[in-house]
Amino acid sequence: MAVNLTVNGENRSIEVEGDTPLLWVLRDELGLKGTKFGCGAGLCGACTVHLNGAPIRSCSTPLELAAGGEITTIEGLGEPGKLHPLQQAWVEHGVPQCGYCQSGQIMSAAHLLKTNPSPTRDEIVAAMTGNICRCGTYSRIVAAVESVVGIVEPARQEGA
Amino acid sequence: MTMNRRDFLKVGAGTSGSLLISLSLPGCAGVQTGFKPESGTWKADAWLELTKSGDIWFTLDRVEMGQGTYTGLTTLIAEELEVAPEAISVRFAPVAPEYRNPLFKLQLTGGSTSVATAWEPLRTAGASARQLLIMAAARVWNVDASECSATDGRVVHANGIDSLPYAKLVELASREVLRGDVGLKPRSEWKLIGKANKRLDAIAKSTGTAEYGIDVELPGMVYAVIARAPRYGARVSGFNADEVLAMAGVVDVFEIERGVAVVADKYWRARKAQAALKVDWDESEALSLSTADVFTGYREAADDDTGESERSEGDFDDALESASRVVEAEYEQPYLAHATMEPMNATVWYRGDHAEVWAPTQGPDLGRIAVARHTDLSPDDVTVHTTFLGGGFGRRLVQDYIEEAAAVAYRVEKPVKLVWSREEDTQHDLYRPAMLHRMKATVEDGNLTGWHHQIVGPQILDWYVRNAAPAQYPWAPKFMYGTLGKVGVMAEGLATPKDVSAIEGAIGYPYQVGNIDIRHTHTDPGVPITWWRSVGYSHNGFAVETFMDELAHEAGQDPYQFRRNLLANEPRHREVLDRAARLAKWGEPLAEGRARGIALFRSFGTYVAQVVEAGIEGGSIRVYKVFAAVDCGQVVNPQIVRDQIEGGALFGLTAALYGKIDFVDGVVQQSNFHDYQMLRQYERPEVVVDIIESDEAPTGVGEPGVPPVIPALGNALFALTGKRQRVLPLNANA
Repeated sequence: MAVNLTVNGENRSIEVEGDTPLLWVLRDELGLKGTKFGCGAGLCGACTVHLNGAPIRSCSTPLELAAGGEITTIEGLGEPGKLHPLQQAWVEHGVPQCGYCQSGQIMSAAHLLKTNPSPTRDEIVAAMTGNICRCGTYSRIVAAVESVVGIVEPARQEGA
Repeated sequence: MTMNRRDFLKVGAGTSGSLLISLSLPGCAGVQTGFKPESGTWKADAWLELTKSGDIWFTLDRVEMGQGTYTGLTTLIAEELEVAPEAISVRFAPVAPEYRNPLFKLQLTGGSTSVATAWEPLRTAGASARQLLIMAAARVWNVDASECSATDGRVVHANGIDSLPYAKLVELASREVLRGDVGLKPRSEWKLIGKANKRLDAIAKSTGTAEYGIDVELPGMVYAVIARAPRYGARVSGFNADEVLAMAGVVDVFEIERGVAVVADKYWRARKAQAALKVDWDESEALSLSTADVFTGYREAADDDTGESERSEGDFDDALESASRVVEAEYEQPYLAHATMEPMNATVWYRGDHAEVWAPTQGPDLGRIAVARHTDLSPDDVTVHTTFLGGGFGRRLVQDYIEEAAAVAYRVEKPVKLVWSREEDTQHDLYRPAMLHRMKATVEDGNLTGWHHQIVGPQILDWYVRNAAPAQYPWAPKFMYGTLGKVGVMAEGLATPKDVSAIEGAIGYPYQVGNIDIRHTHTDPGVPITWWRSVGYSHNGFAVETFMDELAHEAGQDPYQFRRNLLANEPRHREVLDRAARLAKWGEPLAEGRARGIALFRSFGTYVAQVVEAGIEGGSIRVYKVFAAVDCGQVVNPQIVRDQIEGGALFGLTAALYGKIDFVDGVVQQSNFHDYQMLRQYERPEVVVDIIESDEAPTGVGEPGVPPVIPALGNALFALTGKRQRVLPLNANA
């Protein structure tokens, strides 16, 4: 039975078993490889996407739980031809090293700013603690988020 | 990863400043250089290609795994070619002799060698192309080349009027011949080297478009997962093939060397089928030890045999006789997994007469051997496409995941993507070896007079030569692979340089003590091991620099001054030590409940001193600040150096606080990030990095940030609690 989703603003119909984690649907069925597999257990945050505006670990969210939902992935974060302010800040601050965790980091940061447009340093750290970076880019992540505080509009419509 | 270690089958000289254009080795298919009219491209040398349409391609022969080669090595080319780094497109190198790491004679990225080995050849490549373009323009204008110069992708004449873009000159330049010195730019003319140029891969890595191995997608691709034995060395004796084959999407289920492969049309279906798979294992030859047995074995080996002396100065026994006091201590370090964020994976497509591999690998030429070993192909029939790596840390120097994917692809004859789970990645790793250190020092009249360090544990080359030796001789027939591997191990220290993986760092003990004896008791419990970001330096650094702290305490001296006083002949060591101490305001009072620890270690030619400020809060160790001073010679990109030292410090702190792989009856107890923890954002200390200005040749920075931070933290905890911890990971309740 097909499951319908809205992914980055597009309606998609997916024919795979409903227990398939959303991560593999996004990556292998929809070709959205920016969302990464890190642990398969919701422990590292590399697979973070937004479901109906909330950050979720797509590696441990079965497709059937996301049915009918609106999903935003790293590919849907900016506007066509234009980086999201966070992505721009990531580039300016040279955040990524190996880069593998950064899609998840950015999606966590994007949700933070959407719900709390002027977070304190402590709030940023708390919001980003679920995302592991093995290269140790943590300080630049905080600096990059702080640099766009007040720039990202709180009412920003995801995937629009 | 020191230079001579992997250079175990040494051939010829190292890097050279001479022209490397059209370099090729007899009997090896090299990179074709020259102009291709059909595509309008000029391949100036193995690294650089310019097109008539204005593109500049750089073939990057070291992989990008977060350490910054993508930016750093492109900067070297851009500096000499006189173009902006952003004007250069980067592609990852295929396997070719030109791309071998000159220190290892293998196409390896590791050992913090990339900038050090590329420093001369890549600048030479850029400068050579620039000179040829200038000569071509001079011929067009019928002037002397000395009247022309290059800037921002153009050759310009001194008259200020004539100017030609490189795109117009590439065909002509291909016909010019360089004679004599290529004329590298003097340091005073550098525009890019030494500056914090932006990371060239940051956009791709911030938009999800950078392609890692796990992202490779091919038409008709199937997915493989492998059920491996819980105990290393066990063999498959049977499994329920029929039941699993009947499951949705399952393409095949069969035995391979390391277990049972399950192949399905989708990854999740392969995983579900694997969950239904029941394998009976023959464990007669499997690993059955527990970690405690490893250390018992080490102690017995150490008692039996003090091992080979690796460095001996003065006479330690004399020092022992005349000593007024002898201090002894024993240190233990556990096995460690690598935990790259991107789990092991590889995609292999076997097509009868040839195979292609897409993989995040630190050794693409070893990847070819891995495929040859499991198919009917020879290495020359195998093409390896290297992708971005989601972390390496030494793990991807071993090609076991390519071997597995190749074995599956050979049977199913379709493109196969193999993906390991995090649990498999943690439990079937090749680990940083567990090690035991016995330290003994003599004190006479309050002075340190003797240093005795006995290192007990295995050597990594014993595990690595099996694959590396055939890769050095890719033309060797496969039946010789075993022999090449055995010769590599047996000839150690004779035909091949010595494996220093166990003793690196320890033998470089820098302190002026009259009598030194450093020994290695070689004993291998059979647990698979490999390199791990700074490997030997990581465990030796902890033992040496913790024991130095103990000796300072014994002598009633300040640990910084104690070290400093013994470094009169080591100005570079002393300078980083002084700088780190100054940066940390060593000696000034700290907030209640905090203490400082200091450590100093040279690794991979780079000197790093670190001061850690730590405390214990709510039963947990908290690291507040790390102050690091680094001397890595000339700096290509100070931002990348700082990032590497900071990242290295966090990597070391992760090991110091959490790192431990435990075996119980041969089974690894840890499995995922809940029980094999990584340092997280909320625990991140502030890291301050001071880089020493230098005219020395550049040395690596990928690993040297790791070793000193571990003892520096332990020493801080001692200063805080008065209790000395000699076993890693550190314990808040010790």
